[in-house]
Amino acid sequence: MTESEQNHTFNLWLRQHKVQIFKIVRAYASTEMDQDDLFQEITIQVWHSIPAFREASSVNTWIYRIALNTAIKWVGKEHKHSERRESLDNVQVILQEAKVPPDERLTWLYEEIHKLDEIDRSLTLLLLDGFSYKEMATMLGITESNVGVKINRIKKQLIARSKQLNTYGI
Amino acid sequence: MEFDELQKIWDSQNQQAMYRINEDALHNRIHTKKQKASRITAISEGLLIGVNAGAGCFVLALAGSKSGSTLFMNLLAGWMLVTAVAVLVSRIRRLRRENRFDRSLFGELDHAIAMATYQVRLSQLMRWNNLPIALLVVSGVWSGGQSLYLALALVVFFILVNFATGWEHRFYIARKLELETLQKKLQQG
Repeated sequence: MTESEQNHTFNLWLRQHKVQIFKIVRAYASTEMDQDDLFQEITIQVWHSIPAFREASSVNTWIYRIALNTAIKWVGKEHKHSERRESLDNVQVILQEAKVPPDERLTWLYEEIHKLDEIDRSLTLLLLDGFSYKEMATMLGITESNVGVKINRIKKQLIARSKQLNTYGI
Repeated sequence: MEFDELQKIWDSQNQQAMYRINEDALHNRIHTKKQKASRITAISEGLLIGVNAGAGCFVLALAGSKSGSTLFMNLLAGWMLVTAVAVLVSRIRRLRRENRFDRSLFGELDHAIAMATYQVRLSQLMRWNNLPIALLVVSGVWSGGQSLYLALALVVFFILVNFATGWEHRFYIARKLELETLQKKLQQG
């Protein structure tokens, strides 16, 4: 694959699947700077992965898997180096917030997702984006029954918290 | 709120992207990162091979050009050359193992843990390797009739090197533990 073919595929994938990447970025990184950093990490990994893509899975599943794996490992590395990065990595901002009217309920949902640990966060995103238990199990490398146990626990937790939200009148 | 409602809230963001991408900046960034093909492990291995092979050959040449007893110098040169070969062999083995991991999250974590384990072993090996090198260097200086202060300065130098390699070793251990914790979380229900 030539570099220009790789760039072409990358641009196409980015246009078609950027919303999925944005969701993962927002779920794993809180500050604008961290979101920008994680977005860069994910897109670089996606770019590198293009020659290895063999169409055994859909592009969406492929990108989602790369984005989640990058985000989960990024969280571990992140908080220790964020201060140093702020001073060193004074590069152009890549991700800019679009002028979308804020949705309080969506913000709340992201806050709740953010309270989960890295693994549960990935399962919640996969669940909300409509992946089957089988796809989740393949992406994460765990059994379907383990996925089921985790999903049930997460669903119960989110529903219970949403009831508290209703009491506050949001 | 039931889960279906949470799903609707989530799906609402599919209509309008929450960010805009500065595409030029992104392409620049990818290009810059692409240049950095070598990773930390490859750099460490390259340095260890280069420094040990280079220093080993230099000491061997020096020993060859000098008359008189050069036993410690020959031993030191031999030790350094053997170390360079050992690191080279372990690098080849590591590269052969590279593609044995599946591409699931579990597989990627397995790969990252294997890489961290390798770094832990390499840093530990290099830490212990300082001891025979220090002993041979100090013995060589001592037997060559050099001053006691030079021998003491060398001892202090090797103690500092030992602290530095210890710090590096602990860094890799901490990284490995983090990855193992993450993998345990993935396996738990």
